[in-house]
Amino acid sequence: MTATVRGLDVARVDARDKATGATRYSADVEVGGALHAAAVRSSVPHAELVAVDTTAARGIDGVVAVVTARDLEQRFGDELCGRRMRDMPLLARDKVRFTGEAVAVVLADTRRAAEDAAALVEVEYRDLPPVLDAPAALEPGAPRVHEAPWRYDGAVVTEAHHPNLQSEVVVGDLSAAQAALDGAAHVVTATYRTPSGHQGYLEPQCWTAWPRHGGGVALLGTAKAPYRLREQAAKTLGLALDAVEVEPVPVGGDFGGKGGVVDATLCAALALWADRPVRLALRSNEDLTATDGRHPATIEVRVGCDADGRLLALWVDAVFDGGAYAAAKPIPSVNLHGMEECALAYRLDAFAVRSRIAYTTTMPKGHMRAPGAPQASFAIESTLDELAAVAGVPPAELRRRSVLADGHRDAYGHTWDEARGAETLAAALADAEQAGSASGSPNGTRPVPQGWRRGRGVALYARPTAPPATTSLRLVPADGGRVVVEVPIPETGTGSHSVVREELAAALDVDPDRVEVRQVSTGLLPYDPGVGASRVTVGITAAVRELADRWREAGGAAPVTVETGAGTERPRISFCAQVADVAVDPETGQVLVTRLTSAVDVASVLRPRAHRMQIDGGAVMGYGFACLEDLLEADGQVWAANLSEFRLPTAEDVPELRTVLVEGGRGVGPSGVKAVGELTNVPTAAAIANAVADATGRRVRHLPLTAERVYWALRGEADDGRWRA
Amino acid sequence: MKLQAQVNGSPFEADVPAASSLLDVLRGAGLSGTKEGCRVGVCGLCTVLVDGRPVSSCLYLAGCADDADVWTVEGMAVRAPSVVGAFVEHEGMQCGICTPGQVVAVASMGPEVRGEDAVRRYLGGNLCRCTGYGTIVEAALDAQDRRGVPGPT
Repeated sequence: MTATVRGLDVARVDARDKATGATRYSADVEVGGALHAAAVRSSVPHAELVAVDTTAARGIDGVVAVVTARDLEQRFGDELCGRRMRDMPLLARDKVRFTGEAVAVVLADTRRAAEDAAALVEVEYRDLPPVLDAPAALEPGAPRVHEAPWRYDGAVVTEAHHPNLQSEVVVGDLSAAQAALDGAAHVVTATYRTPSGHQGYLEPQCWTAWPRHGGGVALLGTAKAPYRLREQAAKTLGLALDAVEVEPVPVGGDFGGKGGVVDATLCAALALWADRPVRLALRSNEDLTATDGRHPATIEVRVGCDADGRLLALWVDAVFDGGAYAAAKPIPSVNLHGMEECALAYRLDAFAVRSRIAYTTTMPKGHMRAPGAPQASFAIESTLDELAAVAGVPPAELRRRSVLADGHRDAYGHTWDEARGAETLAAALADAEQAGSASGSPNGTRPVPQGWRRGRGVALYARPTAPPATTSLRLVPADGGRVVVEVPIPETGTGSHSVVREELAAALDVDPDRVEVRQVSTGLLPYDPGVGASRVTVGITAAVRELADRWREAGGAAPVTVETGAGTERPRISFCAQVADVAVDPETGQVLVTRLTSAVDVASVLRPRAHRMQIDGGAVMGYGFACLEDLLEADGQVWAANLSEFRLPTAEDVPELRTVLVEGGRGVGPSGVKAVGELTNVPTAAAIANAVADATGRRVRHLPLTAERVYWALRGEADDGRWRA
Repeated sequence: MKLQAQVNGSPFEADVPAASSLLDVLRGAGLSGTKEGCRVGVCGLCTVLVDGRPVSSCLYLAGCADDADVWTVEGMAVRAPSVVGAFVEHEGMQCGICTPGQVVAVASMGPEVRGEDAVRRYLGGNLCRCTGYGTIVEAALDAQDRRGVPGPT
């Protein structure tokens, strides 16, 4: 498959409705007679529940019921909830394990009544020792968060493990890595830290559920993986799979955060319990404090090279704070696959990674855009710069000497016939070099004040594009030679519905205007794993081809359904190299990122604008991770509990973004594409941190790179914890 | 209290509790194009025009809009069709949840907002988590062009 940029840039299917406010999201869909639910949330991080007094709450006009865990257990039993490992109750039972955990729910005729009443529910707690630090949680004798986590469904630990261990993954050979490090000419060992974060989607989560006439429950809400939600909700509620139906609706931002199943299942349970429609809409501050954020990390890296600056061995030991429950993690390892894949970019003689996730009494942590990879990349790519300094090799040159090339075997033993790391790295460096001062964006052109120090940093990332995953589609004839293609996934904004329309129009050789794309409920198509893992375009284009073939064979007069299996084609690897240019104020430590250059290894590009927005949006998210975003989780609280404190990048903050597409790669699936959704958000933090180190001669090993951290680093002092002192 | 205003060019009347936000009143009246986001006035999802000025309707008391001329995203195809057209053409959106607020904010730009630097500063109160802002800024610049606002000299 040769690469092409097809230039198919007709308007998105959803553009006009979105620009006129006509698109209806979960919060815009009214279901008649719905009760409004508001959660009563724990005010302490770890405690026994002694009593819940609902008297005052019940006295509020419009309140119909105050529901506790006991009410739900009487109806549905004591099954727990979760995407893979089921360890979280819908409502806290005997204990609360994080500040913000739902203890009870008020059901009322209006949202205002529900929220007012929820504030009047009095909960009596008996405090237990909080567990607030992940490495400390895994020390012998640390207070337990759960009594026996190995008994939970889907648990990947045993009784022999530390009771606060959620998951441990070891890849590679630790003793071989240590032996190779022992024989290396230069070795650097360094520990890096990243904070709690959040996906930062702007649409608060919102669920509406109603009992169906024939039994079972329908559920409409912010669900990026409807079929998986159906399965988990049915398991927790003791229902047959087809007794739960997840209805179609677009999703207002996901980035991994709209895959949760606990609040959705709670809403379904409430509707069945009350035998009425129920809406559970979160406020933005509840999203930031009581859903599932990004795992904070403490990552120790040991890396060594030979006298010529060639990498020999890498040993990465990560401890992530998983929070109070593992319920939000969707993969069988209950871990972060970005951590497991962290050494893909380089040739190494020896390699080992250990990724441990600890239970703590903090907000549960889930998956966010390339889960684990931004944290791992910050640690590893920063340490590589530290090694380059010790070895006396320029940082880009150190990477060039060891980057994976065509025919190389990676650290995991897989041989790639195409690996364009060196080309991608060179493209980023060349573009940044010639960019000069020509630019249209403010931070590229804005004059840097006199006395600020300039620096440049580079970082590299590689990830695989997997073969097509299982999905399903149906094609239905409509009036006037039109067709309706029914899809199993919501439009989360990536443009997937537009890709379906255009690919199908091309395969059927009809005008795209004659193809209508419609998400349908889980009752109507066989299966799909949901939006995520950069898999949608690959899988859905494969299914579109098959659908078009079947449609033609059948004559195009009757509906046709296809369910595609997982593809067996070999995965491909794609690289992203970023160069950050910064200016740092030596007086205040303020960091201004003036330019961020991303080189991206691509094959076919189906929708150039949508592709570009994945790259730009990723880079900006990476910039936010590097410089701004921190939930400030401390003392058992999220201190940055609203979007005024949890700062996301604005249009004005954004550095000048430059992108180089390194064309000519070989992709996956019938259209020959490479994954792009989880690429440019990954190496950014290291590129910026390396640039700051270049500018200042000081290394900040803790994100975000606030002025305060850089200020103290410039003065040779520890960069942590002073804001609380 | 009784609220009387013009909304999207038509008379609007509602009986509202005194503490209601304009956001809740508009959405309660079926104008669901205006979205609730942060509810603390920083994300811009709920941006509407009150007498031509963009406001965060989550923090704007409905009562303060008495007698006012209010425009929401639903009215933008009439009031600012070039802005709507620019967002469609430039794909100034992904998930779309911030788009109503972005469109309204761009529609409120005066001729003094010239050039990319100024547009980015003007849109600093409208967050977008998806796009990286590039296509939104392009749409805004194009909309300014179409309205005859020249770039910076």
